[in-house]
Amino acid sequence: MASKTDLLQGTLDLLILKTLTPGALHGWGISKRIQQTSKGVLEINQGSLYPALYRLEDRGLLTSEWGVSPDGRRAKFYTLTTAGRKQFGHEEAAWQLFTTAVNHVLKGATA
Amino acid sequence: MAFFLFRWQRRVQLQQARHRIEREMDEEMRHHVALEAEQLVRERGLTPDEAHRQAMIAFGGMEAHKQDARVSRGFALFDRMWVSWLDVKLGVRMLLKYPGLSIVSVLGMSVAVAIGAAGFTIFQAMIDPTLPLPEGDRMVSLRNATRYEDGPSRQALFDFGVWRRELKSVRDLAAFTSDGRNVVTGTGRIHLAEVASMTASGFRAARVAPLLGRTLLDEDERAGAPPVIVLGYDEWQRTFEGDPDIVGRTVRVGGAVHTVVGVMPDGYRFPVNHGYWVALQPDPMMALGEGPVCAARRMCPAAYVFGRLADGATLEQARAEITTIGARLAVAHPDTHKQVQPQVLPYAHPFFDIDSPEVAWMARLFQLGLALVLVIVAVNVAVLVYARTAARTGEIAVRSALGAARARVVTQLFAEALVVSSIASALGLVLAGVGLTWTQSFLRSDGGAWIPFWFDLRLSPGVILYAAALAVLAGVIVGVIPALKATGRELQTNLQQLSARGSRMQLGRMWTMMIVAQVAFAVAGLPFGLYIAVNSVQRGTQDPGYPADKLVSGWLSLEGDEAAQKADSATRAEIELRALNGAHELLQRLKSDPTISAVTFGGFPGSEGFSRVEVEDAAVHGVRHGIVGLGFFDVFSVPIATGRAFEASDTLAGANRVVVNRVFAEQVLGGGNVLGRRIRTVTRRPGDPSSEIETGPWLEVVGVVANFGTQPDFDPADAKVYQVSSLRYAFSTSVIIRVREGASAAAVAERFRETAVAVDPRLRLHQVRTAAEAEREVQQSLLALAISVVAVTAAVILLSAAGIYAMMSFTVVRRRREIGIRLALGANPRRIVGAIFTRAALQLGAGVVVGLILAGAIARVMGVGPLSDSGPLLLPSVVALILATGGVAALGPARRAIAVPPTDTLREE
Repeated sequence: MASKTDLLQGTLDLLILKTLTPGALHGWGISKRIQQTSKGVLEINQGSLYPALYRLEDRGLLTSEWGVSPDGRRAKFYTLTTAGRKQFGHEEAAWQLFTTAVNHVLKGATA
Repeated sequence: MAFFLFRWQRRVQLQQARHRIEREMDEEMRHHVALEAEQLVRERGLTPDEAHRQAMIAFGGMEAHKQDARVSRGFALFDRMWVSWLDVKLGVRMLLKYPGLSIVSVLGMSVAVAIGAAGFTIFQAMIDPTLPLPEGDRMVSLRNATRYEDGPSRQALFDFGVWRRELKSVRDLAAFTSDGRNVVTGTGRIHLAEVASMTASGFRAARVAPLLGRTLLDEDERAGAPPVIVLGYDEWQRTFEGDPDIVGRTVRVGGAVHTVVGVMPDGYRFPVNHGYWVALQPDPMMALGEGPVCAARRMCPAAYVFGRLADGATLEQARAEITTIGARLAVAHPDTHKQVQPQVLPYAHPFFDIDSPEVAWMARLFQLGLALVLVIVAVNVAVLVYARTAARTGEIAVRSALGAARARVVTQLFAEALVVSSIASALGLVLAGVGLTWTQSFLRSDGGAWIPFWFDLRLSPGVILYAAALAVLAGVIVGVIPALKATGRELQTNLQQLSARGSRMQLGRMWTMMIVAQVAFAVAGLPFGLYIAVNSVQRGTQDPGYPADKLVSGWLSLEGDEAAQKADSATRAEIELRALNGAHELLQRLKSDPTISAVTFGGFPGSEGFSRVEVEDAAVHGVRHGIVGLGFFDVFSVPIATGRAFEASDTLAGANRVVVNRVFAEQVLGGGNVLGRRIRTVTRRPGDPSSEIETGPWLEVVGVVANFGTQPDFDPADAKVYQVSSLRYAFSTSVIIRVREGASAAAVAERFRETAVAVDPRLRLHQVRTAAEAEREVQQSLLALAISVVAVTAAVILLSAAGIYAMMSFTVVRRRREIGIRLALGANPRRIVGAIFTRAALQLGAGVVVGLILAGAIARVMGVGPLSDSGPLLLPSVVALILATGGVAALGPARRAIAVPPTDTLREE
């Protein structure tokens, strides 16, 4: 593996949308959740995380709200919108298609 | 205004939103780092400080992340284009750091802004003036455009009645004529004033109530109604000392005694620049509205027609309506109206011959076109700044490498340029203000009767906004273009070569062309400016050849003679006879005045016309030809060299005698005894220069006088021939009085008008003043013209010199290493400097050649000027000056080049 942070173009959006499916999280929470669920393989570069969050918010896929985090600090929580859920559905399907296709190629190539 | 408020409000909102978002972004990212640090403390047992440090390292550059975030939020542009106070401070610092460049840029651009702002103001006053009347923008002028040879006609009186009856979209239709009349007050003081003869409806259209008494009434227009007059505020104050009981008093105006019925408030000078209003009576204006008869004879008096758009009516409706009426009249009276196209125009337009919307648009385009002068100068300065920017490529490259966005660098350079262009704009506005104030007072110095009251050349808020816009435009050109070039593709190379040698930036062909064009402009323009300047200074110091302060002149005419030109021959003969008798009597009375030593009529020396004369049995020459009255040489104290001056018998028909000046005697007649020699005038047929058909009778030379005369002479040493005439020419010449030694010219000037009015109250004297005063006026306007021409050309020379300097510095910086090596290898420094000079010399040379061609063309068009007169001296001096300036500009960089110790340049490798 080249680098833990090497994410395919466009997959960060998918990961964020997926991570927010269960409920609202703040930026650090999102990055930690992705790291945990990928068992430490995927480490999100902060330089990409926040721009991606703002971009998704601007596109209406997320909403944000200032609240209080469990540590008692003021934090900004992101929630998936209905449009975000739909978008996640599309992107997940596309990703499955893509990985299946890549797998086919790889299997074919090694066969 | 609402638009600007909205923009401002929007800007404030944006700014607030931006602050909020920045704050939140900062808080969010700090929160992230704090959580990360806590985790590190928890899981790895680090101290809080160490944990925070590592969390920060893991997070990366917070500012860079913020910048990325801003980009994704769409705030990037806003952020980049925001000119900060720091940028402005940097701009001021750069201004002080490069004083030479700053002075050149500020001076060059301020002259351009001055031209732009002055042009804007003048055109604004012509095209879109604000009439200081209630709803002044609804005032309109009506007139007939014709296709007669003599251009658009004002003879609209014949249609006035028709328009007044039928037009629905224009109300309070009014007409006025204007002429100079003698105003004689109860105390016997006399002055000549422009009097408006106006229909009563003119006052209704203007909607301004009188200060005292009443305005004109319709009854005053009736034939036989007692003559009444309304006074302007200034006239009431100045001429009638603000007499509170003025209403009801009488004042003699021209041929009739008028009763004052009212005084208008201060500032009311309607319809053009008037302070006296009398009723426009049908007599002698012929039957108002009985147009076709009047038009057929083309003898209708000229009149201005105006009105006010009816409530709810638009200019377009009025235009459509009058076109319909015009078409109907053309069908009904084809003889007189076929060629006539009636027009409705914004009130002020006809006074500046803005006949149609197209002309107005052309004028507006020209107004904007003047801004081009600034664009040209700004592009020039931009190249200079570009040359300076070249010296800063290292700084820019380092800044870019440290993460400054290209837009950020561009914004900073824009801010620097804006500082310069703003100072230039402010200075330009001051220059324009001074020039316009001078122009305004010059235009109004002669009473300014025909300078409209709304023609206001003060700097308006509009022109200040315009100058601000020009400053931004110049800032964009001067700052942004060089910045874009400097931060372009070459940036990487610049960074790489930072340590090796300055810059790889280039000054291309455009730049060369610009320097050539500027040098050409300077070579072509400066001689003319200097010529006028030298001429006006010469005139100030030159002895005019006659005692100018002892000569009083005035232009004589008879009230109503304008109308006489349109009248039938019997009426005209009667008016001419009255005028002639009056003038004759006036001259007699003046001659008998003990304080006056001589009186004559005719032009001033220098105002002679041009004629071609044939010398008997010899060639044809072009000479100055003056028609003078008896006593002309006495009045001007011109000594008779040979022969005699004119005598009364010379004025008789068939006498055919002339007096010539010495130049004529020597150059045209070949010197020797010229008395008795004969000459005659030769007239060319118009449009056929080869034909010389009409010849006058042979004229015998009876005397030779000294050369004299300065006023509008370009060369006082012209060959001149004088012919004497009887008084019938009095209406095309002025009356000139020689005041006896010891007598006061001012007192004579005052008595001059009194004497004329005593002879005939309708005899008018215009521009009564001493020759010295007249001369001063001409000098002043010449001097102003010279100052403007010299200022503009000096700015251009300065720019081209700076351009050459920049180009040379640039070359030296670029070739520093090569020069160093060549010097190290023992090259002759002179040859190196020569090689560098070659390019400057080529550009200067090309500019001079183009300039000389241009100067030749201008001289050909102008006919007279620096090339024909003092050309042999002036033109080479100008060329030498420009070459010297260019040479000096090139010298500094060249010296810098050879002053470089070779070891230094080699060590830099």
